[in-house]
Amino acid sequence: MQSVAKFLKSYPALQIIAVLLVGFSLLSPYFLTSGNFEAMLGANAVVLIAAIGMTVVFLAGGIDLSISTVISASAVIAGIVMAETDNVALGAVTAVIVGLGFGALNGVLIGYFRLTPFITTMATQLIARGIAFVLSQGIAVKGTPFWMLDFGFMAWMGIPAVTLVALALVALSVLLMSQTTWGRHVMLVGSNAEAARHAGINTRFIDFSVYLFAGALAGAAGFISIANLGNAIPGVGDTLLLIIIGAVVLGGTGMNGGEGSVERTLLGVGILAILTNGLNLVGIPFYDQLIIQGVLIFLGTWLAMRLGSSRSAT
Amino acid sequence: MVETLRSLMSRQKWVAIAMATIVLAGVLSVVSPVFLTFSNFQAILVQSSVTAIMAIGMTFIILTAGIDISVGAILFVTSALFAQLYMDTESYLLAFTATLTCATLLGALNGLLVVKFKISPLITTLATYSIYRGAAIHLTGAQNIPVPREMGFLGNGRIWGIPVPILILLVILIIGVYVLSRTRMGVYTRAIGNSERSAKETNLPVNKVLILVYGFSGLVTGIAALILIARVGGLQSGIGIGIEFTVIAAVILGGTKLTGGSGTVVGSVIGAVFLVLIDNGLNLMNASPYIYDIVRGSVLLAAVAIDRYSAVRQKASLEAQRAERLGLDTPVSRAGGGISDAPEVAAK
Repeated sequence: MQSVAKFLKSYPALQIIAVLLVGFSLLSPYFLTSGNFEAMLGANAVVLIAAIGMTVVFLAGGIDLSISTVISASAVIAGIVMAETDNVALGAVTAVIVGLGFGALNGVLIGYFRLTPFITTMATQLIARGIAFVLSQGIAVKGTPFWMLDFGFMAWMGIPAVTLVALALVALSVLLMSQTTWGRHVMLVGSNAEAARHAGINTRFIDFSVYLFAGALAGAAGFISIANLGNAIPGVGDTLLLIIIGAVVLGGTGMNGGEGSVERTLLGVGILAILTNGLNLVGIPFYDQLIIQGVLIFLGTWLAMRLGSSRSAT
Repeated sequence: MVETLRSLMSRQKWVAIAMATIVLAGVLSVVSPVFLTFSNFQAILVQSSVTAIMAIGMTFIILTAGIDISVGAILFVTSALFAQLYMDTESYLLAFTATLTCATLLGALNGLLVVKFKISPLITTLATYSIYRGAAIHLTGAQNIPVPREMGFLGNGRIWGIPVPILILLVILIIGVYVLSRTRMGVYTRAIGNSERSAKETNLPVNKVLILVYGFSGLVTGIAALILIARVGGLQSGIGIGIEFTVIAAVILGGTKLTGGSGTVVGSVIGAVFLVLIDNGLNLMNASPYIYDIVRGSVLLAAVAIDRYSAVRQKASLEAQRAERLGLDTPVSRAGGGISDAPEVAAK
């Protein structure tokens, strides 16, 4: 029992999730149904995939504002390719390649040319958004293959296929971060880049690679968004930036680097997913949800930070 | 001539963006005969007034190495508050004072949260962005509210033949320049950006300055909101979405360092004008509106890349100068021959 309490204490996000689950179950009879959970899981696959990439960039001490619109750009380009060829696999590969392209651009500029991450990715955010809108002429790309539409509705034991893809990517990223040299180097560069450099770590390559990684995941998220929505929508990523960053910091990954993990982001995405779903069921209008989300992001970050400092103090 | 210009550019960052603006204006005046008219010149200034005014406030924040993502939401909240209050009370005095007070307080609240909770300004203002925007839509019930005709004076009126938005911009610019270069407040602002720790250790009122700086940005954003709502004729649900990035882009184009400590408000205002000139040029070329984002993004990238390149070159030339003064060779050969030189020095 004590170890459970300890576990809960080191993950404040779990406490928030527990409170939200109990609260919404009491407030709405529809909340605790398998249909609702399936819908909730499916609707958050895109955010989850993108948030993994943001987490790794945060862990290395950077930030990537372009993730949101790279999702749009890769969705649109993959959508066009699929409409032309009717080949879903080619669409998936295209989406990831587009993401990798933007990731490589960010990575080279930030890692090797040492430009500021915030401004660089703000600029590529604009460029990616422009490309998404120019190529789609501002409207949804028509001609999504039927298999893709079916894929959006597939589920296994109440878990949508898109969520399974997202969870597989989470598992893969957790392994990458905890079991490989690359993962440890990312954490070291994030905690102290100068020390990492003196220890012989190629910090420029690490900086480059985290943006490449985030780009690839943004591309995958863009592809999944087509399965979710039925079409590639050029504005799909526009509103996601706040939710992605919010989920990462709510999970307990800070912006200063070296503190946090991908599995924590899973919890952060969970909090925002349950909150949005529950508030919708209870009938809270979207603008009040914005207020609640903002307060929660702030308080959640503050809690996680206090916990972090008390842990390093003892 | 080239040398003086180059040294001026490296000392005063805003000269670079000013020259880029003049070159762009020159190109546009060749492309279009209507460009080089006094009325078009005024129109461009009026068009850039809202972002330019907000950029002045943002410059102070970025000088302290902070950032405020919520300015677009403050712009929207204060527009909504003004429209709603005027509709309910029909009192200009009340609506104006309440709006500007609210704008200042919302900005100062950002500063207070940054100071008290020690969460990074980016995340803090990302959270308040969501809260302010939600509150504004809550207040107005997501309705579009028209503002009275007389308000148009703030957006399109003239005093002594000069458009009112330009006059307001000039006043705020002069205040900004004065505060930044002639007052203790300005010195403290830069000092915090250079090193918040040193500023604290030398007992500067860091917290007070930060709250004031965010509050000032809120106030000028409130003023910008009044001009904007007067120009568009009423409250619209899309007001302020994405404007924070345009404002930050203007500040960065103007030569202010995102890491704090160095930059000017004049540069930010020219940066805002430059961004409007680009729109103007694309408009003259009948470009698709979707291309604007691509061009803006590329310009921003080019600006930071050039800035980075010149900083690297400047550092290298400074090191070379110092090496020359000390009677040494270039730093490279010094590093290479350090060990073998040592005995000779000792022998002398």
